[in-house]
Amino acid sequence: MRVNIAGLKMKNPVMTASGTFGYGEEYADYVDLNWLGGLVVKGLSLKPRLGNPPPRIMETSSGMLNAVGLQNIGVDAFIKEKLPFLSQYHVAVIANIYGESYSEYAQVARKLSRAQGVHALEVNISCPNVKKGGLSFGSDPKAAAEVTRRVKAETNLPVIVKLTPNVTDIAAIAQAVEEAGADAVSLINTLTGMSIDLKTGTPHLKNITGGLSGPAIKPVALRMVWQVAQKVTIPIIGIGGIMTAEDALEFMVAGAGAVQIGTANFINPCATIEIIDGIWHYLHDHKIKSIKDIVGTLRT
Amino acid sequence: MAKDIYIGEVSANEEIQIDCFLMKVKLPGNFAEPLPGQFAMIRIAGLHDPFLSRPISIYSFSRSKSHCTLGLLYRVVGKGTQILAGLIKGSQVEISGPLGGSYAIDENKKNMVLIAGGIGVAPLSLLAQYLCQTVCHDAESMTFYLGAQTADAVVGLDHLRQYCYKIIICTDDGTLGEKSLVTAAFQKDIKKYKPAETAIYACGPKPMIRSLSTILDGKYFCQVSLEERMACGVGACVGCAVAVKDEQGRKAYKRVCADGPVFDLQKVIWE
Ligand SMILES: Cc1cc2nc3c(=O)[nH]c(=O)nc-3n(C[C@H](O)[C@H](O)[C@H](O)COP(=O)(O)O)c2cc1C
Ligand code: FES
Repeated sequence: MRVNIAGLKMKNPVMTASGTFGYGEEYADYVDLNWLGGLVVKGLSLKPRLGNPPPRIMETSSGMLNAVGLQNIGVDAFIKEKLPFLSQYHVAVIANIYGESYSEYAQVARKLSRAQGVHALEVNISCPNVKKGGLSFGSDPKAAAEVTRRVKAETNLPVIVKLTPNVTDIAAIAQAVEEAGADAVSLINTLTGMSIDLKTGTPHLKNITGGLSGPAIKPVALRMVWQVAQKVTIPIIGIGGIMTAEDALEFMVAGAGAVQIGTANFINPCATIEIIDGIWHYLHDHKIKSIKDIVGTLRT
Repeated sequence: MAKDIYIGEVSANEEIQIDCFLMKVKLPGNFAEPLPGQFAMIRIAGLHDPFLSRPISIYSFSRSKSHCTLGLLYRVVGKGTQILAGLIKGSQVEISGPLGGSYAIDENKKNMVLIAGGIGVAPLSLLAQYLCQTVCHDAESMTFYLGAQTADAVVGLDHLRQYCYKIIICTDDGTLGEKSLVTAAFQKDIKKYKPAETAIYACGPKPMIRSLSTILDGKYFCQVSLEERMACGVGACVGCAVAVKDEQGRKAYKRVCADGPVFDLQKVIWE
């Protein structure tokens, strides 16, 4: 079950997705964090962020929309207040980072690289719910490459760049960040969407639009992982609507060396553990020795 | 691990008033004792539409030797509650809880005033039960203002009478009790309650809580239960935000599920 994603060593390929597992402590009563391959924390910015006004979430068929707006306590408070708790566990801790400028990304990366207990950085260039930065970095190959270079210059930790699906050609962005030195890519972040209350004629979300996640987006995510896998040689972490071990394995067949579980945690806090268990059984039943042996084995 | 998702069995699910249901769920004996104000997340296993679990305040709770029974009082307002309403005896549901914080109780307060609007009676009924069994030894010390639009929307009265002697009922159309808004009925009596001797607990629609906030003008200890749409219910997604004043008096978004659902009324910011 062990995997090594560009130097990030994990005991299994199952990670929690940023923004869906808090800082780990929220679910620590439900899940033994020691069992997880990796734990990606809520997106961190240089300064604390208030986030968007409510309502922030709305359910959809087989999914949900969110417009949290990256509410977070800021990188300094994270290092001081949250990291010591996570360091008690034998789990790879991945800090998801966000900035409104190249220099903010660089500063957050620098602070986290100096802290004890962070095993990799995941650079969010793809949040659809914030006005500045975020999406624009993720939808322009040049800007995406520049963010990657700036972060790489500040750290020796593995750098994972998290891509947005809200672009015409996700593989082009993936190639751009690979050339700029990214150690791995993770995809997908949420798809922008909206929902309307017909009774009042108003949007369900105060922010009007939000990011769609959950099983509704799985086919899109799978397609994008497969497309990116044709174009890059760095490892891919697959994300989007994974609810079961079978879902996770499909992503691996499409080319993902590891997966992240997001929205599934909300409806089943033990989803990650059940998925780890299911993958183990699958490998065992099919006499597959290593995760590596199924990654990218799609037959067309 | 300490917390779990429990598989519960619906032992009753009755429409006790139009569009208002009382569901009893039989749960394993290790389900923790809920405190008044706490809630549970409920979902039907395997169902993806509706996708998210529903947060519902805990209305009643009892424990026998082998199991516990959770009472959930809910109004049918959308797809999720519609499907819950269709569950028959013997159906299985997934429950997590008890979640969130509870009302803070100051035993030294002489008057306990509970103000409920509509389905807001649910958490306050559990509070009335708790107060009756713990601090309110004198029947005069607890007053319950119960408001609803019309007589047919008043729920849980018989249950409440077991724990509370002074119940003032108000309906918007006067079909039961006083023809008045519940907040106006309370305001008429406000002189009876000295701020230093009174604790107020409220739950109901936003306009009701807001008008209570104006009436109390920050002079009373008052806690309110708030509602917001939820996804995780445990504080992880920050989806259920409400604007409140933080320790320094600045605006912050707190999580209804984990930082609430009970908040000090004075801290709530009306946006
Ligand atoms: C409530 C919520 C908050 C999120 N916050 C972040 C975030 O802070 N940073 C980030 O990179 N992705 C964030 N995401 C995106 C997820 O990490 C993930 O990419 C996406 O939800 C798709 O996976 P899923 O369908 O398994 O949830 C968030 C998603 C949700 C639902
Ligand atoms: S519902 Fe997720 S933080 Fe409250």
